[in-house]
Amino acid sequence: MTDSLIEVRALRKEYRSGIGKPPITALDGIDFTVREGELFGLLGPNGAGKTTTVKIILGLTAATNGTAFVGGLPVGNPESRRRTGYLPEGHKIPGYLTARQAMTIFGRMSGMSTNDIKLRIPELLDKVRLPQWIDVRVKKFSKGMTQRLGLACALVHRPNVLLLDEPTDGVDPVGRREIRDLLREEARNGTAVLLNSHLLSEIELTCDRVAVLRNGKVAAEGTIDELTRRTAKYKMVAAPVDESLVAMFRENGAGVERVNGHLVLSVNDIAHLNTLVDGLRSRGGMLSELAPVRSTLEDVFVDLVKADAGQEGHPQ
Amino acid sequence: MRVLWANIEDVWREAAARWTLIAYFFLSTIFIIIFASAINLDIVDGALAGAKLFGKQVEMRGNEMSIEKLVLGFESGFSAVLYFLCTFLSIFATAHLVPRLQEKGTIDLYLSRPVSRTRLLLSRYFAGLLLAGSNVLYLLGSIWLIVMWKTHVVHPRFLLAGVVIFFVIATLLAFAFLVGVVTSSTAVSIMASCGMFLFSGMLVAHDRMAAAVSHEWQAAVIQTLYWIIPKTAELGAAVFAFVSANSFGTKIDLSPTPFLTTAAFGLASLTLAIWRFHKKEF
Repeated sequence: MTDSLIEVRALRKEYRSGIGKPPITALDGIDFTVREGELFGLLGPNGAGKTTTVKIILGLTAATNGTAFVGGLPVGNPESRRRTGYLPEGHKIPGYLTARQAMTIFGRMSGMSTNDIKLRIPELLDKVRLPQWIDVRVKKFSKGMTQRLGLACALVHRPNVLLLDEPTDGVDPVGRREIRDLLREEARNGTAVLLNSHLLSEIELTCDRVAVLRNGKVAAEGTIDELTRRTAKYKMVAAPVDESLVAMFRENGAGVERVNGHLVLSVNDIAHLNTLVDGLRSRGGMLSELAPVRSTLEDVFVDLVKADAGQEGHPQ
Repeated sequence: MRVLWANIEDVWREAAARWTLIAYFFLSTIFIIIFASAINLDIVDGALAGAKLFGKQVEMRGNEMSIEKLVLGFESGFSAVLYFLCTFLSIFATAHLVPRLQEKGTIDLYLSRPVSRTRLLLSRYFAGLLLAGSNVLYLLGSIWLIVMWKTHVVHPRFLLAGVVIFFVIATLLAFAFLVGVVTSSTAVSIMASCGMFLFSGMLVAHDRMAAAVSHEWQAAVIQTLYWIIPKTAELGAAVFAFVSANSFGTKIDLSPTPFLTTAAFGLASLTLAIWRFHKKEF
């Protein structure tokens, strides 16, 4: 392990479902690493095992099999959480505390000195746009403000690993952008960020690399670019386009869709595409545009999830 | 130490915000005020000429009753009342500590810190004890000072009652923690702790109860339960005996057994609570 701050190896988690009933597999041997300074997204439909993964990394739940390390330490060791910040989904920072009190308590629990906490609180509340709310009780905060305070609490002890479960939930678009900027800044400073979200656009805009979980397994992993280039689709603008041309393409094994006057071709590879172009030219057709069609992360996600549609989910 | 301070701050702020702290000390203050206004002593030239309790004349039986003896009587009687009052108030004020900690969305925030579960639970336990202990000190200390102010009699044995009461509270809080860890319910923690206090009080008559049942196994269960669970009746009697120094009527046997078996119960409850908290998946 060189610069991996989170390392998950063959992680498996089974939940008991009652006496005499078979256990439910939430995680079925997943592997991934998150490196220093990397923004890593964990995607998956409800029940895919995202939250279970994060909870194992934090030691909130024990793995049935496999190992996970944070900063080189096994996750069972409380010291592995010394430099880990966590923002749980639907967290409940006690409403009776003010922002200052909440950050002081969580800072102390992370081993910070009173002086260090005093310096850190205004700095962080400035970053999450809550400086004027420092002495207001959390119960008066809106959902978005609570979320931003949660992020400040997760960052209070200067972690080098950040685990965030739906961090932009309830946050307005401006706030979302600010959180993204903040996460990027943390990553630039060397923090490994693991982002768990079902907001695909957020992941696409924020993360360097993602893993898609499906039924407790990693169904796909890579950079956003790698994942969205997986399908070989091309937009073709040509003339003349008639039924005989479409039929010829189909006879050659290509998928053809007519979209707004142009064609979208699904091909096996570049050679296959060139065959189709040759066929067009041999019929006297003129090619005016040929460009790869990039899938969105949502397309990739939906395709992966659809592949297993109908299977039961797992508890989070 | 920082973890302990963090938990103490959290527990006290919660008690203040949820009105528990105010209610806790308000009820105690009412009791103190009633007590202060209930005693009326007529002292002439340093000697007790007459005394009224709740407006009623206290029988002096000629010159037999000295002021020291009267104070001893007041304090012994009130220590028994305080035993019940402090214990129940403490249960109500602290039983929520674990269930509230274990709420979804809250426990993650605490357990994601570099603190072992044992340390977290023990810190919370000591924070709860500090809250309960401060109330015991406030109640007993105030009454002791009032008596001193009204009679000029200094009777430090009265404060011994606080030590025994605190010991019983520590035991019941450990039990409330165990119930809280297992059930995550404040209501069940309160019911179980109050039930334990009252049930163990009933078991003081364990020999008579065992003799009255029709099967031997039932008698064995009663005797076993008696030895396992805290001895709240014996400890209540010990409070009275400590304060009165056994100056009244029948002598109370101050054997160490009720203290030892109660301490064992408390330790076992706390150990089980920690073990279960460690095993629990959130």
